[in-house]
Amino acid sequence: MTAMMIREVLAACIFAAAVLFGTAGVIGLFRFPDPYSRLQASALCGTTAVLTTCVGALLLAPSWAVASRVIVIIIFFLFSAPTGSHIVARFAWNAGTPVWRPDRLRTLKGRRKAP
Amino acid sequence: MRPEGKWRLIRFSITALAMFAVWMLFVWSLDLFSLAAGALGALGIASLTYDVFIARHQANLRFFLPRPVHLAIYLCLLFLLIYQASFRMLAAVVTGRASPRIVHFKTRLRSDFARMVLANSITLTPGTVTLDLNDDHLTVHWFFCSTTHSTAAGNEVKGRLEAYVRKVWL
Amino acid sequence: MSGMLFTSMQWFMVFCAVVCTVRLVLGPTAADRLVALNVMSGIVLAFLVLRGVQQGRHIYLDVALVYDIFGFLGFLAIARFLKDRLEHEEES
Repeated sequence: MTAMMIREVLAACIFAAAVLFGTAGVIGLFRFPDPYSRLQASALCGTTAVLTTCVGALLLAPSWAVASRVIVIIIFFLFSAPTGSHIVARFAWNAGTPVWRPDRLRTLKGRRKAP
Repeated sequence: MRPEGKWRLIRFSITALAMFAVWMLFVWSLDLFSLAAGALGALGIASLTYDVFIARHQANLRFFLPRPVHLAIYLCLLFLLIYQASFRMLAAVVTGRASPRIVHFKTRLRSDFARMVLANSITLTPGTVTLDLNDDHLTVHWFFCSTTHSTAAGNEVKGRLEAYVRKVWL
Repeated sequence: MSGMLFTSMQWFMVFCAVVCTVRLVLGPTAADRLVALNVMSGIVLAFLVLRGVQQGRHIYLDVALVYDIFGFLGFLAIARFLKDRLEHEEES
């Protein structure tokens, strides 16, 4: 009984971290102006939050059959998540999307050019 | 001719064994039917595609067979780096401060498989996305760019990852 | 308590998916829409895992596994299709 309680408290902490990352990723999806930066920020939601959720679910798994499958899913996710991001980034790169440069850098460059 | 045929047999058996292992992971049962179907399928597909999965010139077993202990250490390091980069990204989303750039650099890894693993690991950590991998030349979109110098940027982005991938796969 | 945890996490995933749908509809370029789709595939995977572990049925987890592996084939097809169309427009 107590072992279950400890597992639940740990899982609650991990799920809280997942909610934090997921919210930040979703905000990042709207905060930055170009596809590359959105992809980077949304990786918080699409990669870290999903991994964290899977680890939390692993802690709460009721049987070994379920736990082993969750481990296999995590291992395959380590391969499939970057493949998806890479396809999207490569598509943007091949379509010739320009990279967003924040104002701070642009002024620095301008100042260097002026004299 | 002799070593050529031997090398072909080795490549074929490694491909077939890997496919059979993935099949067993999927079905997760030891029925006679699933064992037979998996073995037949693995042998058939491996005989068609072993040349694609392991090209002829990748002439070293350590190009695609990992060292198990180092692989486990590498996975732990990968998780650590993912969370470290995630917290950095979290701060960037809150403050809105970033300096995205596209940087180019070369890797010292020699096998195609190890390069693929390195590119995937770079993409997996939030803050860096691999745009292109051409032989040993990587094009990376880097969200916290501090330098565009090729070698320095390479050290910053791939630094510890590459050192560990070299231990696992050569 | 664990039931409540799972249920609230599933609602959170639904919320994230809805926000991604907004980006999917708004997104000015095709790359933006693909980014939103990419996030949504991860969210759906997390939802399936949560659901499967909550019900304790591994058949749901098999669905999640297959979705995980073949999820990116969809983007590959869409990206290839859009790229062909872009090149076609440039030519004509």
